[in-house]
Amino acid sequence: MTAITAPEALAARADEGPPMRAKAKAGPIERIAVHLVFLVISAFFLVPFLWLLSAAFDAKANAYVGIPAHPTLDNFVKIFTEYDFGRVLVNSLFVAIATMILVVFTVALAGYSLSRIELRRKDWITYAVLLLQTMPISATMVPIYGLARQLGLRNSYLGLILIHAAIELPFLIWLMKGFFDSIPRHLEEAAWLDGRSRFRALMEIVLPLARPGLGIAAGLAFLSAWAEVLMVVILIDQDSLKTVPLAFYQAMRTQGGYTEVQYGVIAAMAIIYLLPVMLVFFTARRLMVSGLMNSTRGL
Amino acid sequence: MTASARRRAIGRNRLYLAGLSPAVFLLALFFVGPAIWALASSFTNRALVGIDAANPRFVGLDNYARLFSDPEFGRVILNSVVFVIGSAIIGQFVLGLLLALLLDYAQRRGFVASGLVYGSALLAWVNPTIIAGFLWVAMFDFYNGSLNTGLGLLGGGPVNWLGQGPMLAIIIANTWRGTAFTMLIFLGALRTIPTDIYEAARVDGAGPFRRFWDHTLPLLRPIASLTLLSVTIATFGTFILIQTLTNGGPALQTEVIALYAYHEAFQNHAVGYGSTIAVVMLTLNLAFAIVFLRWSRARA
Amino acid sequence: MADVEYDRVWKRFGPQQAAAVHGLSLKVPDRELLVLLGPSGCGKTTALRMLAGLEEPDDGDIRIGGKSVVGLEPKDRDVALVFQSYALYPHLSARDNIGYPLKVRNLSKAEQAKRVERVAEMLGIGHLLPRRPAQLSGGEQQRVALARAIVREPRVFLMDEPLSNLDAKLRVHTRTELKALQRELGTTMIFVTHDQAEAMSLANRIAVLNAGELQQIGTPDDVYDRPANVFVAEFIGSPPMNLMPATTTGDTAVTDGGWRLPVPSGTTTSHPETIVGLRPEGIDIVANDQPGATLAEVITVEPFGSEVIVDVRLGDASVKIRTAPDVRPAPGSQVALSVKPSAVRLFDRATGAAL
Repeated sequence: MTAITAPEALAARADEGPPMRAKAKAGPIERIAVHLVFLVISAFFLVPFLWLLSAAFDAKANAYVGIPAHPTLDNFVKIFTEYDFGRVLVNSLFVAIATMILVVFTVALAGYSLSRIELRRKDWITYAVLLLQTMPISATMVPIYGLARQLGLRNSYLGLILIHAAIELPFLIWLMKGFFDSIPRHLEEAAWLDGRSRFRALMEIVLPLARPGLGIAAGLAFLSAWAEVLMVVILIDQDSLKTVPLAFYQAMRTQGGYTEVQYGVIAAMAIIYLLPVMLVFFTARRLMVSGLMNSTRGL
Repeated sequence: MTASARRRAIGRNRLYLAGLSPAVFLLALFFVGPAIWALASSFTNRALVGIDAANPRFVGLDNYARLFSDPEFGRVILNSVVFVIGSAIIGQFVLGLLLALLLDYAQRRGFVASGLVYGSALLAWVNPTIIAGFLWVAMFDFYNGSLNTGLGLLGGGPVNWLGQGPMLAIIIANTWRGTAFTMLIFLGALRTIPTDIYEAARVDGAGPFRRFWDHTLPLLRPIASLTLLSVTIATFGTFILIQTLTNGGPALQTEVIALYAYHEAFQNHAVGYGSTIAVVMLTLNLAFAIVFLRWSRARA
Repeated sequence: MADVEYDRVWKRFGPQQAAAVHGLSLKVPDRELLVLLGPSGCGKTTALRMLAGLEEPDDGDIRIGGKSVVGLEPKDRDVALVFQSYALYPHLSARDNIGYPLKVRNLSKAEQAKRVERVAEMLGIGHLLPRRPAQLSGGEQQRVALARAIVREPRVFLMDEPLSNLDAKLRVHTRTELKALQRELGTTMIFVTHDQAEAMSLANRIAVLNAGELQQIGTPDDVYDRPANVFVAEFIGSPPMNLMPATTTGDTAVTDGGWRLPVPSGTTTSHPETIVGLRPEGIDIVANDQPGATLAEVITVEPFGSEVIVDVRLGDASVKIRTAPDVRPAPGSQVALSVKPSAVRLFDRATGAAL
């Protein structure tokens, strides 16, 4: 299993910074050259975000990046008054938090069980889980739509929450199994001998020690449910159930063709949509970087 | 007595099986279920609306026969291959590797500004796909998008990105979004190379280029193959980014396999045919995944 | 307080693997300190874990206080186990670790506190109670683990190599204390170790296991003086018993190196193929002209302060002799060896069993 953990483990190291060694100081030519390269690369990655900021605070937002010509907060006011964005936000928060709770519960149980179960072909289960992880949700979108319609899971938060949870499960089960593997069995055995039942030993001794893992699982489940758009688009078409990604999706489509997009309004929505992501991600950056190294995320 | 002992041993595993059951239920419902549903539907003329929606008819291998003689599907596969090679292999993988090498070098040389590059790549990676799509819609805007404005300042003419070069446009957008993944992995891998290897090579008289060629690259190779496959699998499934930017157009120029399945099922209402495309996509994906798992196992 | 009985207990971990515990039958009377001794992988820890309920036997019965515990959950067996790793709960303070079994039993807060204090006092760790396990040294952790076991007043104490992670000096000190403590508490204790010196110093009785099978059970003196077979003879004692193939006729055994040894009276051999066993202290270095003495070449001399171990060569065999500290033959010289008939042990060469 170590091999498959390798990319994630490496990413965690990437965030730690290099070993610093005293070396000859860089000369001026090297300095200038390196910083020029830095400038070009950072511009490539950052210009779209700089534009986003400028557009959201501009009354007559354009598609190009610049200091807002007509600085205003109108766009933010508009999305709450004209687009009912407040309700959409509450919907999204509800779905994301419910998904997070369901995921944490499910992966805690499943990760622990998978770590402790004794089966002769146990590694096959792990491989099956990894195989599911590589299954892109865009490939199963058509059947999921058909299945959800037959099961009456369309236009229902239950359906949305279940499927958002399911999407994150393969990776997080595998992640949590790793966490539980690192907690010595002797600890729960000691608790059993001290008189605890298996369930209470899990709750009192094992889970408190798995807290960092559960934290990562909760953060990733929230982020994923918050950002996921494909399932929302195919499962929800009632206005009252709309979540942020759907509102965003619709705003982009209904604001005319791509040439006359109401950039300012959508940019304001995007900024509010991005806030929780930035908050979760940058408060626990190192944990999340190692957690996010899930190759099939964010399709 | 013996029987009760055996019952206990099984009983303990049964508790663990119970612990797995909620997860197994969800995975079965939303991963295995849809795969089976797609396979079953691919043998029918199931539609989105109308009589064939309620009572799909069994049509055998008709959908598969149609798919493999469908010239549009050939185009779609070609688009997918170009998109994967362009954005996953050349874009994310090569750029990510170069970025990792640059950052590793810059950090070792003590250039503080490397943190800005690292952070900005990460920012592009963590934001929701639909935002990435929106940002690049604005960037590519013909009349006053940042790209054309920038080109104008340099004296270049405006480029109709999404009209004339849509494939290049989605490749740029996807590269922007996914490069951090490869960068993170290689940056981590570079950290695990012990510095004394380089010191030994220096003592042996190797210059910077030799050190890179003889030591750095071989040590990165095992992780490189795995990363390449992960990136390929992820890129193969790209949907929202392309849908937001071009929706497969113009004239199928950026229609990749995931979009094609979606359009057949939801715009042409041919759910059976769309499922057939989904089955083909899942099969290709499974092939990639099995190769991936074998490589990771071989490394274990 | 209870006696413990293993009754033809079998345990196998996989269909392809050899049995980890091989028809083990063993009775431990109340208040005894029994040591399960054997090399790693001999099944001693598995035997202990089956008693605790962490593994279930495939066949046979285990009884505590006369009642079968097979099939009972660990929590219902009222036994305490000190793990080799101590298994202290890392997120709880020493006080909460020790108090955990009491909390589980819903004792009142005051009663819990009183009992934790008392046990901590007894083990001299009162000042460590507020600390977390990570803030304790190995020896301190070991005491907290011990306290957690004692505080419950269980029917049986189980110890799975609890001293093996301590440094040598502390290990010797702790085992003396542990022995006194067990006598004071009067609780049956089963102690697993691979260290024969630890077993000798602690045990009321020692049960020697090898490859899942019980080799011998007896007092330390029994297993040392009258090993039941070649395995026990080699495993117990440092340096171990000297073993040499020999041909036995009547009352004389002749080793392959040509050493003629008297066979102890009462030993019966049906065939001449035997192995002679001699404890290093059963051999004396004597004057060269003593009748019956055998000459051997000195290879090395290892002084240990209170004793000297002399390694000599006799034919093909290397023989270790324990002598008084003032005996220092020069390496390469010849010495004469003499043996008392009562020090000679004979084993069957085919089966390894004592004759």
